[in-house]
Amino acid sequence: MTARLASATTATAYQRAWFAGVRAEGGPLALVNADAPQEIFRTMGIPYVVNQWWASIVAAKRQTQRYLGLLRERGYPDYIEQYSATSLASAFETDPEQAPWGGLPKPSIVLGETTGDASRKIFDVWDAQPGVTYYPLESAAEDAVPERWWELMPHRWEEAIGSDRLDLLTGELTGLIRFLEQTTGRVFSETRFREVLDLVNEQQEWNRRTRDLIAAARPCPIAVTDGIPSVMVPQWHRGTEWARDAARAFHDEVRERVDTGVAVCPDERLRLMWVGRGLWFDLEFYQRFQRSHGAVFVWSMYLAIAADGYLRYGDDPLRALAARFAAFGDQLYTPPWSAEWYVKEARHHGVDGVVHLVSDDARGSYFTTRALRAAGIPVLELHADNVDARTGDDLTARMTAWLDELT
Amino acid sequence: MSAVGYVGADVPVELITAAGLRPLRLTGKPGRDSALGDRYLGRGVDPVARSILTRILTGDYGPLEAIVVSRDCEASLRLFYALRELHRVEPALGLPPVRLVDVLHLPHHTTTRYVHAKVAQLREWLGRWRPIGDDDLAAAITAHDTLRRSLGRLAALRRANRLSGKRFLETVAATTGVPVTEAIALVDRLLAEDRPEVEGTRLFLTGSSHDHPAVYETLERNGFLVVGEDHDWGELLFARTCAAPTELALAERYQHNGPSAPRASIRQRAAHTAAAARACDAEVLFSYARTHDDAPPWDFPEQRAATGLPAVLAERQPYGELTPEALAALVPAGAAA
Repeated sequence: MTARLASATTATAYQRAWFAGVRAEGGPLALVNADAPQEIFRTMGIPYVVNQWWASIVAAKRQTQRYLGLLRERGYPDYIEQYSATSLASAFETDPEQAPWGGLPKPSIVLGETTGDASRKIFDVWDAQPGVTYYPLESAAEDAVPERWWELMPHRWEEAIGSDRLDLLTGELTGLIRFLEQTTGRVFSETRFREVLDLVNEQQEWNRRTRDLIAAARPCPIAVTDGIPSVMVPQWHRGTEWARDAARAFHDEVRERVDTGVAVCPDERLRLMWVGRGLWFDLEFYQRFQRSHGAVFVWSMYLAIAADGYLRYGDDPLRALAARFAAFGDQLYTPPWSAEWYVKEARHHGVDGVVHLVSDDARGSYFTTRALRAAGIPVLELHADNVDARTGDDLTARMTAWLDELT
Repeated sequence: MSAVGYVGADVPVELITAAGLRPLRLTGKPGRDSALGDRYLGRGVDPVARSILTRILTGDYGPLEAIVVSRDCEASLRLFYALRELHRVEPALGLPPVRLVDVLHLPHHTTTRYVHAKVAQLREWLGRWRPIGDDDLAAAITAHDTLRRSLGRLAALRRANRLSGKRFLETVAATTGVPVTEAIALVDRLLAEDRPEVEGTRLFLTGSSHDHPAVYETLERNGFLVVGEDHDWGELLFARTCAAPTELALAERYQHNGPSAPRASIRQRAAHTAAAARACDAEVLFSYARTHDDAPPWDFPEQRAATGLPAVLAERQPYGELTPEALAALVPAGAAA
């Protein structure tokens, strides 16, 4: 078995130290959704915790059920959007001794789109907590979109997303800046903002090179479970020099492994793609089939969306930031964008099959599976929630049966 | 008159009327096979949307010139995406043209500008059937507002125990499938009838919307009288009129309409539910949450606190049904009232 990537262990250690610092610091703190424009907080020096990152930590520590129970005790459902609701449950913590990483400090502002029917309700409950304000952003949708968004986004994002959605989010972000200036006393410097956006683009360019290295490498040089923290921890710190340098270090480490022929599974026989959120309650799943079937997960969305989904260049920085997030979820979940992108990525990585995690709230999953199969790529759909272990009883058995057929 | 099918109460039906077409609100059919809808949308989506998609694909609504979909809830948006993608990858299905009208609801000026743009674009798109002049639009807005005021009088009749909840719901639904002038006449005929008094424990229904009367029927067969509700197949459909017969006022009317469970804040919902329940002298608050309709269970704790009434939440209910367990939980609340 190959050693863990230094990038992964470094990133995880950095995150722990950073989180401890945030807990100790006091002052304004934001809780933000993964697909919210965090760069504004970065520019103003307001620390933020990413809602879904915290849920992944809680799940990895096998605390999700306890937290969902805290929601239920207060009359809220424990079976809807568990991934987004876990952090809220942390606000009701009754046993700080058990809380992962010392527990989630209380935010002063929460920021998220009004996606779906329940997400904004979860934030509404946050808003009802003393000292917490929810700043909602609309989640707009377009009637018609060009298909190959990944070719347009870096420079021609206005064409890809449409001016109405960009006008809307730019207006909302202008309001957010004013709100933060007034409530925190912090300054929004446009010079600093432009530096932050430049750093983000530099970071994602490194991620793009890393993605392309892994796509071309035979055998696969890194475990997908190493790739996730290596790309995602810096992603939550994007706009800092540390994050940009961490992305470059990740790239250099992958480059070295490719050059020296390191294999995460020396007996690589099947290259697999994992479509969907990370299976946080059972991360060992990703290695479980290497010995039995020579099956290696070479792809997860986290590095790939970093490579294709974030780059935005342009002269108007606030509009460029709006362009990063006005249709972010569509890139992953809305056909035709999602379906065509997964096919493009599957071909780019030369995968032999796709494992598609379909949760109750997954969007466009039929069309993703359909597009992949139409491209001649076998797909196994696993129906489960990515943080709620109650929903994932037979995943290993189903996977084994499918791999038996593939090999 | 040719029909345009539409999904959700956020579709500005005035524009369809103004284009010389008949707006036909699409309903699901509980109990019917929805395998096609399940296939394309997945079983994690509100069964109403799965049923509607199934009916579209099987031609159950008859010929439709077009389908306009709003995002009144997440399931409707997914239904639109499925229809759009089916157009692209399975053109042989021969689906009618499909259009999204993305009416959003945050109470901000930025949202108004956006919704106005979407309304204007729908107006232009419908112009392919008949260009919509300002006079056409003003006439349609006036007609639909007249219907809304008539439905408001019907709601008052129900509050005065002269109409059952089931009959009220059926009548509102009937107005969404005929030309607006016929709909006004239909309601006005009912208003003019001399009706006997109806009785029952006065129940205010919150939670999911009901495009079928089965749940109302079950409640009223078991000693309740549904005297009010806050979903958009009932009173939320017509509570707000336009401030002026203009495109901008139309956009503002749809932006601020509600507050519906999927689109409004918990605070807005609780305040509205409490006021509406008070207005109809409700004795019991009942929240009916259909399976995969994710918003209502989050609203319930605050609604219960705001109304101060005996309150029951029925979660994960099958489409068009009230489970015996849910009814058993509700009956004691009715008895206590």
